Amino acid sequence: MTTPQTDAHPHIQQYLADFDDIPGTRIYTAARARQGFHLNQFAMSLMKPENRARWKENEAAYLAEWPITEEQKQAVLARDYNRLLDLGGNIYFLAKIFSTDGLSFVQAVSTMTGMTVEQYQAMMKAGGRSPEGMRSIREKR
Amino acid sequence: MARITGGVATSHVPLLGVAVDQGKTQDAYFKPIFDGYEWTRRWEAEQKPDVVILVYNDHASAFDMKLIPTFAIGCAERFAPADEGWGRRPVPDVVGHPDLAWHLAQSLILDDFDMTIINEMDVDHGLTVPLSMMFGTPAAWPVRVVPLAVNVVTYPVPSGNRCWLLGEAIRRGVGSFPADLNVQVWGTGGMSHQLQGPRAGLINAAWDNRFLDGMVGDSDALRRIPHIEYLRESGSEGIELVMWLIMRGALGRATRSLHRHYHVPCSNTAIGHLVLAPLE
Repeated sequence: MTTPQTDAHPHIQQYLADFDDIPGTRIYTAARARQGFHLNQFAMSLMKPENRARWKENEAAYLAEWPITEEQKQAVLARDYNRLLDLGGNIYFLAKIFSTDGLSFVQAVSTMTGMTVEQYQAMMKAGGRSPEGMRSIREKR
Repeated sequence: MARITGGVATSHVPLLGVAVDQGKTQDAYFKPIFDGYEWTRRWEAEQKPDVVILVYNDHASAFDMKLIPTFAIGCAERFAPADEGWGRRPVPDVVGHPDLAWHLAQSLILDDFDMTIINEMDVDHGLTVPLSMMFGTPAAWPVRVVPLAVNVVTYPVPSGNRCWLLGEAIRRGVGSFPADLNVQVWGTGGMSHQLQGPRAGLINAAWDNRFLDGMVGDSDALRRIPHIEYLRESGSEGIELVMWLIMRGALGRATRSLHRHYHVPCSNTAIGHLVLAPLE
């Protein structure tokens, strides 16, 4: 059996650099995973009902128990999800925070787009956001 | 001997599970989505597979950031639906097939795939939503399941080619299992969607449909799509589509399409669904 030549072994630096060329997107790279380890583990802790209860009672006190940066804490308290992505958060982990707030994916995701949830839902019903002009910053396509 | 008789691809959006659990599948929003699965429900009832090898990804439910297995196979007797933060889905436990799963784990490792072996795990919507789409709301799932979890969250995720090759190795592993089993392979996730950042909500129906086209026939062009193309064209979470290639690789040299369905939107996502039969 022959193995076809593919992208299986691109240069890692080029592979990672390409991610930064996608507009409005933060790919969850190893660097982000390292930066956000405790932030994401904090979010994961909200899977447990007893933790959710303590979190709801006093968010700041709950956050103080975690070795996360002041910036990360402020972004969590502000529910600034774009900022949290920049600080190493991953959306599936951050989902534990907005689910605890009673928000759906659509509601939470819309907050990252500068649209109201109604505008965002209307866009999705109309077929979603077009990829035109949203593929590459460098190539403007 | 065990044999792979069919392949199913489907999105696994959590909102579909909510629609099933709350009896909303006939609401105006959901009906066009669920209508596209009616054919498959009848087909599954006729086919009566013994086992489904169900390729999916965990969404920070069973795995957190402590452990990130690239390919992991569930070898337990049973798997409970995960509590994803709002209680467990009211669906039956998923019954495993430890004999086949352990056979596959051993075969795959000897075939150069260094699998992580899971002996205890809860399964989240990535696995239970496809079961609901294909089987509705039975008291017990009518099939045993071998969960095959793929990391598509932390980069680098496996390449499309690696996924295809794993599928080919699964085909060899199933073929050497001595019991007479009717096995399906399901690839789940996708299609285009992006759940994060200012570009969230991206949908690319033209690209998705070319991907659906590529799953059918004897072309293996899809295995050469680089990650960056999935990300640019189908959104950051569209990368889940590499999991469909495990199913495609497992079907052998060529496939024919038995059923196809595409709908936008469900929540933030384009729904894609395909039923394939191996041609050989």
